[in-house]
Amino acid sequence: MSKYIKTIVMAAVAVLAVAFPFYTGAYPQSIAQSVLTYMILAVSWDMLLRTGQISFGIAGFFGIGSYAAVLSMLYLNLPPMLTILIGGIIAGAIAGLLGIAVLRLRGMYFAIVTLAVAEIFRIIMTNLKGFTGGPEGELLPQLIFQGNPYLTYYLMFGMAVLTIIISEIFLRSRVHYALTAIRNDEIVARSSGVNIFKYLVIIFIVTSVIQGMTGGINAQTYGFVTPESSFSLDYTLLPLAMALLGGIYGTMGPVVGALLLGIVSEYLKLYIPYGHLVIYGIIVVIVILYMPQGIVGLAARIRKAGARNE
Amino acid sequence: MKNCITVMIAVLLLLALPLAVFAGGQGEQGEQVEQGEQAAEKDPIKLGGVWPLADITGDQGSKAAQLAVEEINANGGVLGRQLELSVIDSELKPEKGRSAIERLATVEDVDIFVGGMSSGVHLGQIPSLKKYEKVTMWTGAASSKAEEAVGPDADWYFHLHPWDYTQGQSYVDGWGDISEKYPEIKVSDWFLAYEDGAFGTGSFQASQNLYTELGEMTGESFKSAATGGGDYTAVLEHAKEYGPEVFIWAGYDADALPMLETAKAIDFAPPIYLGAPPGWPQGFGESPLSNYVMLYGMWAPSMNSVSGVSKHFYEAYTGKYDGEPQTYFAPLSYSAIYILKEGIERAGTLEKEALIEALENTEYDSPLGQTIGFSPSNIIQHQGIWGQKILQWQNGKREVIWPFEYQTAEPVYPFPGWDER
Repeated sequence: MSKYIKTIVMAAVAVLAVAFPFYTGAYPQSIAQSVLTYMILAVSWDMLLRTGQISFGIAGFFGIGSYAAVLSMLYLNLPPMLTILIGGIIAGAIAGLLGIAVLRLRGMYFAIVTLAVAEIFRIIMTNLKGFTGGPEGELLPQLIFQGNPYLTYYLMFGMAVLTIIISEIFLRSRVHYALTAIRNDEIVARSSGVNIFKYLVIIFIVTSVIQGMTGGINAQTYGFVTPESSFSLDYTLLPLAMALLGGIYGTMGPVVGALLLGIVSEYLKLYIPYGHLVIYGIIVVIVILYMPQGIVGLAARIRKAGARNE
Repeated sequence: MKNCITVMIAVLLLLALPLAVFAGGQGEQGEQVEQGEQAAEKDPIKLGGVWPLADITGDQGSKAAQLAVEEINANGGVLGRQLELSVIDSELKPEKGRSAIERLATVEDVDIFVGGMSSGVHLGQIPSLKKYEKVTMWTGAASSKAEEAVGPDADWYFHLHPWDYTQGQSYVDGWGDISEKYPEIKVSDWFLAYEDGAFGTGSFQASQNLYTELGEMTGESFKSAATGGGDYTAVLEHAKEYGPEVFIWAGYDADALPMLETAKAIDFAPPIYLGAPPGWPQGFGESPLSNYVMLYGMWAPSMNSVSGVSKHFYEAYTGKYDGEPQTYFAPLSYSAIYILKEGIERAGTLEKEALIEALENTEYDSPLGQTIGFSPSNIIQHQGIWGQKILQWQNGKREVIWPFEYQTAEPVYPFPGWDER
């Protein structure tokens, strides 16, 4: 019975998400676009976290993808969809080179290096004025799909579905066991024959490609890049908060966290225009303090408690 | 399994939530279409404002705009209708700024867009503004990239804030005029200390070309306290070694006092010490270190002595809200509402073409001192304000030094040495 319910609920979720632009207006669509962007970044951040490595480099790869997409269109006159792919490839290539150099670092050492990535590339983009437009950035002559909101929604939605599928594949494959083994006890994993370095590099590249492509889609949707907005720390901090709120080490947690925080923040803004950010911050702090496993973790705890009582 | 289903249902509800939360106004919009013309004429004229409300520019700008709306409504409104201002926070994020425009256009169904601060946010909003093509009275965004994005065909777009190149030219003109009137003031050797972010780097790159008309310019970057830095010793030592006639820094309000403390500690007192942050810290004028620091801006409370409109604005603002306006975005946003009010009155209608034509004939005596009218800039058709003013902190007050028609005090030159204070 529960299998049928699960199928029905999943089908309903899929139908609602696919039909979203048809039963809402331009405003909810623009919110959805933003929520989907952060959702993708949150899921991809969590995918690397499953290895035990914390990355603060999301904004860096997002920004690299944004710039790669815009510059490849401006200088090479490539079609927008191809530039998005190029954004992902360049972000992945940089992650590969960086990963080979720094993935032997662990914990905060690795986290700080990834944080520096965003800063280094932001400074490079700011100072290469002749090539990148410098601090003022660059404009695209036109938006992807001529700014059609339906198509841009489906593009970001497609990217979100792809990310969720990749995350689920990683959770259900040998990679998951390797990654979990690395996180739980690296020495035991190594002695069991797990090629730790290989898996870390692979997952770092995959997550960076996702973040780079998302940056590319974002840049093509808004039609511009600037160092400040494309490498904004928001693209690192908000996905992190969303994943922590929803629950880490799985796909569902970051998805729920992104949906909840994205919608709550907008709701608060409409009803408390002056001071909503304070309320938003307090909610995030309280939830993370008192629900360290996130919403998905809390749901699991309630379920287990219910089962024990039965 | 139950856990999974619970979470799935939660996701389902969240996906459906926008219907209840955000799309409520869509029905209202439909209902409005059915209302008769007579009823529509009694409806308020809706203005949709977007500002960054957690920032002092947006906080005070939106409050000043609301003040103007209340004053106008208290005097009978416009064309017998009340004004209604809906304000949404841009949070200084392009995507939030764009969502705000989408909501104002489709849910609030506003007649006119107003407000704005930050070029980055505006770049994200421009595609949406172009989609709706409603009359727009924009108070922020200095980057000429934003002008490029708006383009030459947007006849519905009215931009008040100077563009980067027009305000840069105003500085050059201002210093030229000052050195002509006061020959003892030398402005041919410049040292620019700039924060290493986009704002500071952009200022340096723009200044290198602009200030060649005045003389030599060199510069060095520093890490702003606002972005985790705050040690100015190296950059100030290098400036001291260079010995400029004008020392200018482009950073944030958080740098203002610590940089002066460091300058005092290393005994660096150039003839002109000029700050160019987007805003000054609250209470900066109360510090004795602030005395005789020069700055750029569009307005200061001292202008009350030379402008009756400024005095009226200042008294109305301080009467309604706690504290005085700290940023020129307050009188700028106040002006935006009055320009619209006068334009609608001249047009006698909200019909777009007539309103655009009426706004093109604007001659608004503003609290900023100058009479605002619109003329084409490099790309857009309707540019309102072309430059900023040169001011100086004197005994806790910002006094206008240039343009001379708004001058409220004589410049104190040179910047006194630290042992003379």
